[in-house]
Amino acid sequence: MAAGVAAWLPFARAAAIGWMPVASAPMPAPPRDKRRTQDGLIVLNISGTKFQTWRNTLERYPDTLLGSTERDFFYQEDTNEYFFDRDPDIFRHILNFYRTGKLHYPRHECISAYDEELAFFGIIPEIIGDCCYEEYKDRRRENAERIQDDEDNENNNDLVLPDMTFRESMWRAFENPHTSTMALVFYYVTGFFIAVSVMANVVETVPCGTMPNNRAKEVSCGERYALAFFCLDTACVMIFTVEYLLRLMAAPSRYKFVKSVMSIIDVVAIMPYYIGLVMTDNEDVSGAFVTLRVFRVFRIFKFSRHSAGLRILGYTLKSCASELGFLLFSLTMAIIIFATVMFYAEKGSSGSKFTSIPAAFWYTIVTMTTLGYGDMVPKTIVGKIFGSICSLSGVLVIALPVPVIVSNFSRIYHQSQRAEKRRAQKKTRLARIRAAKSGGANAYLQYKRNGLLTDSEEEASKEAGQALVCKSNPTFETQHHHLLHCLEKTTNHEFVDEQTYESSCMEVSMVKPSASRSSSLSSSPHGLSSCCSRRHKRKSFNVPNSTMAAGCRDSMQELSTIQIRERPLSNSRSNLNAKFEETVPLNSEQQPYITAAVISMPTPPVTTPEGEDSASSPDYSQSNIVRVSAL
Amino acid sequence: MNLEGLEMIAVLVVVVLFVKVLEQFGLLEASYDDSVEDELELSAVRHRPEGLEKLEAQTRFSRKELQILYRGFKNECPSGVVNEDTFKDIYSQFFPQGDASTYAHFLFNAFDTDHNGSVSFEDFVMGLSILLRGSVQEKLNWAFNLYDINKDGYITKEEMLDIMKAIYDMMGKCTYPILKEETPRQHVDMFFQKMDKNKDGVVTIDEFIDCCQNDENIMRSMQLFENVI
Repeated sequence: MAAGVAAWLPFARAAAIGWMPVASAPMPAPPRDKRRTQDGLIVLNISGTKFQTWRNTLERYPDTLLGSTERDFFYQEDTNEYFFDRDPDIFRHILNFYRTGKLHYPRHECISAYDEELAFFGIIPEIIGDCCYEEYKDRRRENAERIQDDEDNENNNDLVLPDMTFRESMWRAFENPHTSTMALVFYYVTGFFIAVSVMANVVETVPCGTMPNNRAKEVSCGERYALAFFCLDTACVMIFTVEYLLRLMAAPSRYKFVKSVMSIIDVVAIMPYYIGLVMTDNEDVSGAFVTLRVFRVFRIFKFSRHSAGLRILGYTLKSCASELGFLLFSLTMAIIIFATVMFYAEKGSSGSKFTSIPAAFWYTIVTMTTLGYGDMVPKTIVGKIFGSICSLSGVLVIALPVPVIVSNFSRIYHQSQRAEKRRAQKKTRLARIRAAKSGGANAYLQYKRNGLLTDSEEEASKEAGQALVCKSNPTFETQHHHLLHCLEKTTNHEFVDEQTYESSCMEVSMVKPSASRSSSLSSSPHGLSSCCSRRHKRKSFNVPNSTMAAGCRDSMQELSTIQIRERPLSNSRSNLNAKFEETVPLNSEQQPYITAAVISMPTPPVTTPEGEDSASSPDYSQSNIVRVSAL
Repeated sequence: MNLEGLEMIAVLVVVVLFVKVLEQFGLLEASYDDSVEDELELSAVRHRPEGLEKLEAQTRFSRKELQILYRGFKNECPSGVVNEDTFKDIYSQFFPQGDASTYAHFLFNAFDTDHNGSVSFEDFVMGLSILLRGSVQEKLNWAFNLYDINKDGYITKEEMLDIMKAIYDMMGKCTYPILKEETPRQHVDMFFQKMDKNKDGVVTIDEFIDCCQNDENIMRSMQLFENVI
């Protein structure tokens, strides 16, 4: 905190002379300033945009990149400046942080780009000033939700894991009807029966002509065709019961399932029937039984499993609970006040309907909501004045919380719209990613086929003519291909394309993977040596592009926590501050980690003889190494 | 509440509504009139210091030192003057555990030599010049001026107690050994025992300077902050 007012430290120290005469002990010796150099200007060249500042300004925060010796890594001797190949627009804010001690977040910047820059320069985002903190946190949360959404969708759209139990697959079928046709059929059938059941409840009460034997009485359809309706009801309830029991059986956490809203609705929907079965003969409680039939209408809420819009509405109401509560409370207050006033105002007039304050409640509610039935009207002048005030205030009281609820609904609705759009675009996005990945792999295979890597000299010279044509490959590519070739030589496996891999995968699925896997488990690190599930492959793809992958990841996670933990960050700082020799082993340490992981993948064919699996095994390594090459 | 009372209330309500309507028409002025003055406040407070040469002549700082000092000063106070609240704020940032506001108040008064409620750059630099480049006599003079709260030439026990409490406040709560209530008072008594030669209950400037010049520790500590700039 004091770094922001570092310029005033000399003043504070000078003012300490005021303590000297009253000091009870002798003063300590002052620290010796080792560098008595004058405060110099430092030139920072960020992708061409030059920034200049005092050295002391930067050194106010010694645990950041610019404030520590870490910046020496970026020093250019010939131009006597520090060059960073980063975004100059965001750097402006970072430099302002050093100058003013306050970090601001520019609204037009992308949150992830900003976070990356902060992480690069070693600044913790938690120190963002109050003025920008809310905006920053909101954007962060939105971004996290988006990433979480993507991950969830990925996980949901995974291929069925071979070792998923029947119970789990059933639960998946219930939760995501579009995963299998059975689930879809089930979904539509239940939807149909809900609709039928609700329609039956409604039609039951329609007057339907007269009974055949008793011409005088009008009966409802329910009474006339009692048996038919009863059979229909039974069928529906049976379907609902079966569905509920299946869901209960399939739920991963039964207790949580029983507590959830949807299951309570399910139970309430089918309970009246069973209670009715038990109680039909007892005439005394038939009144209660009739009441229970009202609960059958709750079946309509079962539709919320089928309709996203209903769910959004329900979620909105839940999230606006406080606004609704406030609305209710203020309405109640107003009702009581006005009802009291109207009662006493109308007490005098003869034949007035305002017989008591509770009786006046009805008038107040009808007036405040601007319904105005007209069954109770004030007759005295005073009553009319207060009545008009009542209706005016009613409009206000109701109108106030409504925009809040509406904006909440709008926000949630737009969120779901965005999620829908993302899902739709996801397919094209994934296709593009896959194309890029396979493009990389194909380039290497093409390269190989051009024979640029063959060992024999004659072929090389023969193809030299051809090679010259392909010489247009940039240096990066050639080096990359050389690397992949080294890998092939190391593992004694080769890269091939998708089709060959698929076909050999079929063959190898016969081979028992467990035995051979355990043999290689001991040699490879725990993290990546698991079954060839897509999930893990995807995880390895997500690792960022630097060799300091693990370290960066950790520090990113540290950044996202609320508590500021200085130590982990300084650890990564000290790693980079360490002498250059130390960083090299760090790099080489990472490489075998990745290669070892790759070795662990093609476990099944390892035990089989070399000649046979030279076709099949490379397929594994290829698909995994595709991931590595993406790194 | 009988009908008469209710009628009166109804009439009252109607009258209030009528007044509101008149206000809307602007015929009746609502009584909010402090906003105008706030606007004037903001524009008045700006101050430019005297030229570099003049300051160089008046103080014992070199040109470069004055540049550095001014840059730091202006950075924190863009308007060119420090008022007491900003001063307290800045000073408190150096003592996060305790409450530095009381001592900052006394310091502010010591720097604000013309007592106009704000410390301009000239005041600031003059004060620093004495503290860092002045002779021992001048420094002791400055310290005496700091302790003498009402600037009457005498330090009384009450004044000293205030200063002492302010200094101990800066320590905050978490000290070792624990701060007791009577510690400042004891410290003041010790101070007066040392300084008050004629035991008249006040310390004059001569007693103060004499006593300090005879005390080795104090003399040595006065030279401590020579190289701060």
